[in-house]
Amino acid sequence: MASADSRRVGDGGGAGGTFQPYLDSLRQELQQRDPTLLSVVVALLAVLLTLVFWKFIRSRRSSQRAVLLVGLCDSGKTLLFVRLLTGLYRDTQTSITDSSAAYRVNNNRGTSLTLIDLPGHESLRLQFLERFKASARAIVFVVDSATFQREVKDVAEFLYQVLLDSMGLKNTPSFLIACNKQDITMAKSAKLIQQQLEKELNTLRVTRSAAPSTLDSSSAAPAHLGKKGKEFEFSQLPLKVEFLECSAKGGRGDTGSADIQDLEKWLAKIA
Amino acid sequence: MLDFFTIFSKGGLVLWCFQGVSDSCTGPVNALIRSVLLQERGGNNSFTHEALTLKYKLDNQFELVFVVGFQKILTLTYVDKLIDDVHRLFRDKYRTEIQQQSALSLLNGTFDFQNDFLRLLREAEESSKIRAPTTMKKFEDSEKAKKPVRSMIETRGEKPKEKAKNSRKTKGAKKEGSDGPLATSKAVPAEKPGPVGPENGVELSKEELIRRKREEFIQKHGKGMEKSGKSAKSDAPKEKGKKAPRVWALGGSAPKEVLDYSTPTTNGAPEVAPPEDINLIRGTGPGGQLQDLDCSSSDDEGAAQNSTKPSATKGTLGGMFGMLKGLVGSKSLTREDMESVLDKMRDHLIAKNVAADIAVQLCESVASKLEGKVMGTFSTVTSTVKQALQESLVQILQPQRRVDMLRDIMDAQRHQRPYVVTFCGVNGVGKSTNLAKISFWLLENRFSVLIAACDTFRAGAVEQLRTHTRRLSALHPPEKHGGRTMVQLFEKGYGKDAAGIAMEAIAFARNQGFDVVLVDTAGRMQDNAPLMTALAKLITVNAPDLVLFVGEALVGNEAVDQLVKFNRALADHSMAQTPRLIDGIVLTKFDTIDDKVGAAISMTYITSKPIVFVGTGQTYCDLRSLNAKAVVAALMKA
Repeated sequence: MASADSRRVGDGGGAGGTFQPYLDSLRQELQQRDPTLLSVVVALLAVLLTLVFWKFIRSRRSSQRAVLLVGLCDSGKTLLFVRLLTGLYRDTQTSITDSSAAYRVNNNRGTSLTLIDLPGHESLRLQFLERFKASARAIVFVVDSATFQREVKDVAEFLYQVLLDSMGLKNTPSFLIACNKQDITMAKSAKLIQQQLEKELNTLRVTRSAAPSTLDSSSAAPAHLGKKGKEFEFSQLPLKVEFLECSAKGGRGDTGSADIQDLEKWLAKIA
Repeated sequence: MLDFFTIFSKGGLVLWCFQGVSDSCTGPVNALIRSVLLQERGGNNSFTHEALTLKYKLDNQFELVFVVGFQKILTLTYVDKLIDDVHRLFRDKYRTEIQQQSALSLLNGTFDFQNDFLRLLREAEESSKIRAPTTMKKFEDSEKAKKPVRSMIETRGEKPKEKAKNSRKTKGAKKEGSDGPLATSKAVPAEKPGPVGPENGVELSKEELIRRKREEFIQKHGKGMEKSGKSAKSDAPKEKGKKAPRVWALGGSAPKEVLDYSTPTTNGAPEVAPPEDINLIRGTGPGGQLQDLDCSSSDDEGAAQNSTKPSATKGTLGGMFGMLKGLVGSKSLTREDMESVLDKMRDHLIAKNVAADIAVQLCESVASKLEGKVMGTFSTVTSTVKQALQESLVQILQPQRRVDMLRDIMDAQRHQRPYVVTFCGVNGVGKSTNLAKISFWLLENRFSVLIAACDTFRAGAVEQLRTHTRRLSALHPPEKHGGRTMVQLFEKGYGKDAAGIAMEAIAFARNQGFDVVLVDTAGRMQDNAPLMTALAKLITVNAPDLVLFVGEALVGNEAVDQLVKFNRALADHSMAQTPRLIDGIVLTKFDTIDDKVGAAISMTYITSKPIVFVGTGQTYCDLRSLNAKAVVAALMKA
């Protein structure tokens, strides 16, 4: 309905611009019996203005300002989210849905991003990733460094999916792998995590390509991560993947401050 | 008594938490979220985790979850009411903080709820305590000296009531209405006959009470007049004849039958009665105590009225704005709104071959997830429910555990042991056929396969596998793989013990360096106890890496029974602490069902295990993996 209106407006304007006589007659009519025609014109103008505004607002919204926090369950996404926003410690539970908030970046320009914390549970994460990935300016993949050894396969599988998804986007987001929970003594370093993930993603490439095709035959062959015939490395990817260590919980119990300066700097960089 | 009470947003932020004991509540609550809320099992609102019972309530409008936990052995009757009370108070108190979309307001808001909660808890505990001992005391004291006093009070109390009744008849409706109920309500707490109605009436003057009773009186006007005379008569003798406390207890119920006017006084009267009784019996000073109880009971009334009053006032106001609001405003969903849509959805699901029980449970869960949610301006109830159901279905089909057989086989290969897969299922669902397909897929990926023929029962079972083996080795001859036998059949004829054969096969595979052992078992009906025991034994003894249940997509309601009984048999006959259950599902004959794909939902919902493979035809290549979205799309298609 709205589009039909706009078309009519467009036609009227175009005709008015090209055909002077019509415009004159229109002006005459305006002078003769004013109220009805005038009101119609005003109404059409209002509709046009609204459409323009709407479009403007929509285009602003889709300009990618979102930073997605993704990762497995219990990797500390929600706490990281809280720490980034308030700097305080909060107890958290398994998230059922996403939560988002505006985040003022720590630089002199004072730009702001939208932080979005996605649930990490297996049955939800892909759905939510699908919903938000289009608006992603950056993706922070949070890894639990303490239990990494045990969960490496799950981490790699989800990372594989996220990487594939973000490579498929029009303008690829910045990608960060945050090795969280460095306060725990047995936590693995970012270097080690990177090596293990590369190795794991390498095998995952093989098994994924060998998996039976899905039910609907329409889906095209999935894109390939990295270069074929070479051991997988993050540097082969078209998007830059960075690693850093952080600790959302901090050193000393609930009151300790978090160790997330690196992450804040990174966010300031990409904003 | 309570172990904990926690309020958190669905985004995972704990807003406020009460800890009754030192244990952290995070573990049990996470278990609740993962195994109930995320599995679409939200039909009923309680959940047992180890020694705790958890009860929860969802606030879909503000995206909050209220969870209370207490020891399983306790039966706390007040918990449901407590959750409701806390929910209401919390919502009203922090409306501004929780209304916003952004999580920031949640983070910045301070939820200092401790005092309010403790008050509510105390009230709830007291109300339950008071109710419990009443029965005991009544018996003890029933024949004691209280009796004459009691009966006196009763009669006195009753008299003003009757007076009021009489005056009601004669005078205008409104005034009398207010007087009458006051007298009745007063008759209860008044210890001394002296002061009587009017004074107390001023004292009490609970506006709500009056107004409600007035309304009811106006409604009942005609009836009340007719019956009052009769009821007064029948009431009086009763009071005299019986023992005081007992009379009181019955007094609550008797008027319901006889005195028609007291029925509409609703919960108020019976609520007041028992506390009053105790105070008499305990012999405490009537003034202070009574007042106190009155307060709490009036609270209850207020709560009760909250539900009744709006409906009365809405009649006039809501009528005008209702239509506009329905058109423009965003309104929250109620269960009644969804009822018809959900019924339709349920029928639709059943028509798509989802098991009936599961369709019901799913709709129930979707309803509880949507109740109270505020709809968008342009969305209808149908579209909202449909959307929610679709999301739930995708969520169900999303695998809960990683299913990457090849990856695990590689792992086993590194440890130089064979990867063992057991197939089980009822007769004729295609166990052997799909086993052959899977071995073809494995062979294509250059893993060597040993097929163990453990179906020692059905005639021709071994021969069937032998034929498959011959075909497969023709496709992958040893010459193509450097002289290595890629596929081999391990057979021991018929009538032997299947578990033993499987064990020998695994040992053989380890010696010969096979990568995978596929164990074919005999088909069995889920009700056949001896055969189920045998299967459980096979699985316990051999500890396979993967137990696949083979089920056909044609199955409807039977799917529930099959999976439940297979799982139970495996659990019952297992010696281990955590029994070995079905790890995954192979859905066969998927090409025969068109869009009636409900079995996929039924099976994953029951086991919450992934569908690993889907069989879609007769050739070796007809093996697919499941695409949740495609299945859900087929399911929702009208």
